[in-house]
Amino acid sequence: MKKSLTAPVVLGALALALGGCATPPAATSAAPTATAATSVAQSDFKACMVSDAGGFDDKSFNETAYAGLTKAVAELGVQKAEVQSQVAADYAKNVQAMVTAKCDIIVTVGFALGDATAAAAKKNPDIKFAIVDFAYTDEDGKNIAEKNVKGLVFNTAEPSFMAGYLAASLSQTGKVGTFGGAPYPSVTAFMDGYARGVTHFNEQKGKKVAVLGWDVAKKDGTFIGGQDPFGDLSGGKKSASNLVAQGADILLPVAGPAGEGALQVAKASNGKVGSMWVDTDGCISQEQYCAVIPTSVGKAMDVAVFEAIKAAKDGSFSNEPFVGTLENGGAYLAPFHEWDPKVSAETRAELDKIKADIIAGTIKTSA
Amino acid sequence: MAEPEPRTNRLRAWASARWRDWTITLAAFVLALIVGAILMIVADPEVAGNFAYLFTAPGLALGAAWTKVSTAYSALLMGAVGSPSALAATTAAAAPLICAGLAVGLAFRAGLFNIGAQGQAVVGSMAAAWVGFSLPLPPVIHLIVAVLAGLIAGALWGGVVGWLKARTGAHEVIVTIMMNYIASGLLAWALTTSAFQRPGRSDPISPEVAGSATFPQIFEQLHVGFFVALAAALVVAWVLDRSVLGFSIRAVGANPHAAGTAGMNVGATTIITMALAGALAGLAGVMAALGPSVNGVPTPLSEGLVGTVGFDAITVALLGRSKPVGIVFAGLLFGGLSAGGLAMQSVAQTPLTLTLVLQALVVLFVAAPQLVATLVPFLKARKGSVSLTGADA
Amino acid sequence: MIRPVADEAEHGTGLQLKSITKRFGTFVANDAVDLDIRPGEIHCLLGENGAGKSTLMNVLYGLYQPDGGEIVIDGAVQHFANPKAAMAAGIGMVHQHFMLVEVFTVAENMILGREPGLVVDLKAGRATVRELSARYNLPVDPDAVVEDLPVGVQQRVEILKALANDAAYLILDEPTAVLTPQEIDELMVVLQRLRDEGKGIVFITHKLREVRAIADRITVLRRGRVVGRAEPGTSENELAQLMVGRAVDLTVSKQHAEPGPVRLEVENLTVTNSAGAVVVDGISFEVAGGEILCVAGVQGNGQSELADALLGNLPVLSGSVRLDGHDLTDGTPKRAIIAGMGFVPEDRQHDGFIGSFTIAENLVLNRFDRPPFAKGAALDLEAINGNALRLRDEFDIRTPEVQNLGSSLSGGNAQKVVLARELSRELAVLVASQPTRGVDVGAIEFLHKRIVAERDKGTAVMLVSTELEEVEALADRVLVMYRGRVVGIVGPDTPRDVLGMMMAGCSYDEAVALAAAAPTEGGDR
Repeated sequence: MKKSLTAPVVLGALALALGGCATPPAATSAAPTATAATSVAQSDFKACMVSDAGGFDDKSFNETAYAGLTKAVAELGVQKAEVQSQVAADYAKNVQAMVTAKCDIIVTVGFALGDATAAAAKKNPDIKFAIVDFAYTDEDGKNIAEKNVKGLVFNTAEPSFMAGYLAASLSQTGKVGTFGGAPYPSVTAFMDGYARGVTHFNEQKGKKVAVLGWDVAKKDGTFIGGQDPFGDLSGGKKSASNLVAQGADILLPVAGPAGEGALQVAKASNGKVGSMWVDTDGCISQEQYCAVIPTSVGKAMDVAVFEAIKAAKDGSFSNEPFVGTLENGGAYLAPFHEWDPKVSAETRAELDKIKADIIAGTIKTSA
Repeated sequence: MAEPEPRTNRLRAWASARWRDWTITLAAFVLALIVGAILMIVADPEVAGNFAYLFTAPGLALGAAWTKVSTAYSALLMGAVGSPSALAATTAAAAPLICAGLAVGLAFRAGLFNIGAQGQAVVGSMAAAWVGFSLPLPPVIHLIVAVLAGLIAGALWGGVVGWLKARTGAHEVIVTIMMNYIASGLLAWALTTSAFQRPGRSDPISPEVAGSATFPQIFEQLHVGFFVALAAALVVAWVLDRSVLGFSIRAVGANPHAAGTAGMNVGATTIITMALAGALAGLAGVMAALGPSVNGVPTPLSEGLVGTVGFDAITVALLGRSKPVGIVFAGLLFGGLSAGGLAMQSVAQTPLTLTLVLQALVVLFVAAPQLVATLVPFLKARKGSVSLTGADA
Repeated sequence: MIRPVADEAEHGTGLQLKSITKRFGTFVANDAVDLDIRPGEIHCLLGENGAGKSTLMNVLYGLYQPDGGEIVIDGAVQHFANPKAAMAAGIGMVHQHFMLVEVFTVAENMILGREPGLVVDLKAGRATVRELSARYNLPVDPDAVVEDLPVGVQQRVEILKALANDAAYLILDEPTAVLTPQEIDELMVVLQRLRDEGKGIVFITHKLREVRAIADRITVLRRGRVVGRAEPGTSENELAQLMVGRAVDLTVSKQHAEPGPVRLEVENLTVTNSAGAVVVDGISFEVAGGEILCVAGVQGNGQSELADALLGNLPVLSGSVRLDGHDLTDGTPKRAIIAGMGFVPEDRQHDGFIGSFTIAENLVLNRFDRPPFAKGAALDLEAINGNALRLRDEFDIRTPEVQNLGSSLSGGNAQKVVLARELSRELAVLVASQPTRGVDVGAIEFLHKRIVAERDKGTAVMLVSTELEEVEALADRVLVMYRGRVVGIVGPDTPRDVLGMMMAGCSYDEAVALAAAAPTEGGDR
């Protein structure tokens, strides 16, 4: 008998906890639930996004792309819809779900969605597609994308080169490290650029700073691997600890959310180890670790996504891939934040020089 | 012992017990939806914010909450069963879950806890996909060979576990877990070799499976594989209840000592059961590798292709009480939740995490009938009258 | 109903169950049962399996809630929501199936469920065990792991556990079912001592000899009702009739054996157990068709392993087993079964029976894969069902439906299923271990008759038993085993005390000499 009272009591308590006796704002303030961006004219244009298995809250890759969508909603007044994927089998279904939801442009995040995006683009020529981190090219690098698909790719090797140079200059042990989630090209580009930056430092300074976790010649390195390499936080931690145990004191984790493991290791080292961040400015997206992040290798995916949506809305959309570089700001080295005092004026000047040389093409950041 | 009861009495007791089962399942759904609704309201700051005005302007708060919840739930329902294409999506998601659920359920009936459906599905998907994209075979034969390859790969992967258990006494839980690691490592490695990796790609993805090795589409996502899964359930049901082998499997599962004393070969039964379970889980992998996705072609083999089907299968099997019919329904329930969950995301823009929580809540309540009976008092009151009859004194 | 008793005032009014009724669905397990237990008496509750004895005691112990009636202790009405409440009121119970954690030590089991806080006070547990052991003269090593202890000692632990609560009333549910004759005698002494200390003891059993030996008063239950109360002097036949509801023949009427040719030959058989210890040590014997060879011995002297090795369930170290000339040494159970060996395992629930299988399935457990029960890979459910219906009638298995689960059967009926399965085919030899353990009187009579009938069909029967009555009733020859060896093979009319001494390891001649020197004590119970 007592039991039957439980449900009403719980509901009542819940109502009290949530509820109050405040008065709602006057109805004259025009639809309080509407968006705050009242200054922007609302548009019927619908921009949509499909994440890869990392999800939109990965503090990295998907999250940055998503920021571009949010920005488009705020600044262009477009409508939005989104779907998160969990496994590879979801990709085609999820893109189709966005087609069904009558989107005008569908942005897919990650090269893993390459097949699904191409297939959907072919089937739905009236819908624009953009895909982050993937470009449809043949063996000669010629663009073979459908008319309505735009690839958004980033030459992350350029800022990674600068990050490698910086890491080498900051290292006390003479060893720096990097590891990836899985050997995808978009991952290894960071690692390779980083290692080449260290080599450049050694050549300039006549030093012998070693890189652990990537071998430029063999094009192979340390990866977390397993079922969920980019979500495996403990795997990231293990990889980072391994590198630290071998003497590395500046790390570059290229593993999405799993890279946070390296930040944890750095934080636990009491200042002995620093860990960079990738895709976004770690001092903003991983604020609590800012003290251990010397810099971040940024990919302005938000900008690229925003521009793609804007172009689709304006009618200036083309299937020509967007390539983010140091020059156009699509790939960048983030500010040093709390590490600012540790970076010497000399190093700053050298980094500026390197950036100029990369843009000028006098320094090659990849093979 | 009780005196023989009149038949009608027993029938009534049976019907009454059945009625109770169904009402409890229904109540489980309702409870899950209620809890889910509360979470949805609390999780959305805009909707929850309106509750500040609950006592002054109840319409505002309740209206917003109602809109939120009803949009989400109608999307869930429509996405799962609301249209022919929704039903097709449900069957596509259910097919591998049914197969893998059978793999866990069958092993469970033999007293074996098969945690390895995941690895068995992975190797099954590898074998089927490889045949699908590299062997040039004529239609129909290509599909059959690919399916058989998946079944055999899964059977070997499971059979090894049975053999180790029968021969050395190695516990199947530990061995299957390790075999899962080996399978996913094997797949990751294979995708870097020229045998599996798509030419011209540096990321781990295989070529697309040939059309001749793809399960024929029937209606949108509904493909022949779903009927293969139903057939598998029928076969397992027949094997368990009607066959000599099933008798041994159940006997070994219920009491291995008595089974051995009665002349059954416990070790051989263990090996055969694990091989059969492996084949069924392999079939789940085959579904993932050869089942056409919404765009008509199967998703190419990659590291996450089978997802977590082998682990979801444990829930499916437990929910289905390890009985084939129960597993089919549990698989359809999961498939519906998955298809409806996508609609909740894309149509009602409910976050994925909330969708997953709702799925978990449904499973939780369905799997815990006692909890439901406790929470819904009138069901509890009926309990005494349909209790077991004739307890031994 | 409750008769006044002279010393009632001295002890208070005791424990009374008044008109207890308990139903399960439509089945009435206890129908207005009255029972009173006085301090300082052993009250025997007698009844066949399924008569409602255990249900009644579970009501008293708070495991079941009665549908009617009340429990009164010393004049106060009690309601026991759970066993804890019953324990607090001074009731202790020793269950038929022990409620001990097998991998824990005795001391750990003792403090289980009564840990005062988070800290396990093992020292106090040990002290409690020692103190109780000394007080009731029940020696137990507090640090022994329960599963390593003989069954009788495990039961002693159960009794100590019940006593540790300062129980004034002690319920023992079929305490002798799992004990050897020696252990039973020891238990009787313990119970008498407890009675003399003023404990009220309920002794549940269906063994008439025990009742007559120990009871101060007897209440007989049949089909949930009290059908009679008796004094200890009542004859076994009268008690049996009261219990079963009809006249019961307690002696097995059997013709003299007419042994035919030798069918089972065992030569120099040596068997080790899983731990590698030699448990059967160079045993040789023969059993002829048409005779019953009883293997007598105290539990744990290698009889169980001998039977298992004959079946092929235990590997043979050396020696040979031949059945009708076929070599069965190092075979599998399957081979032995096909060669015509019927096997009734000692532990029915563990080795002979699957509770979650239907009765029909249990009846074909060893030949479901052969015609007529199998057609190719498929089972012939009709044949299996038909077989079950036939055997149910032939072996008087009391169940409304053969599709009911095996676990719904009482011990006696379950044993009938096992025996029916083994005897319903052509046998060369029947190896039966403890075929009547945990079985009620009516069923024992039936089982014994069937075994004798099987002998008369020309089957060689090897019967392993620790119960001397059974040995005396059935044996044509008696093989006494002690520590894995044959002490001697003697005739069926060997006196009980001589057999008893042989079971303790004396040779026949020594035993006869000793028996002659020390006249039997007996009669003082």
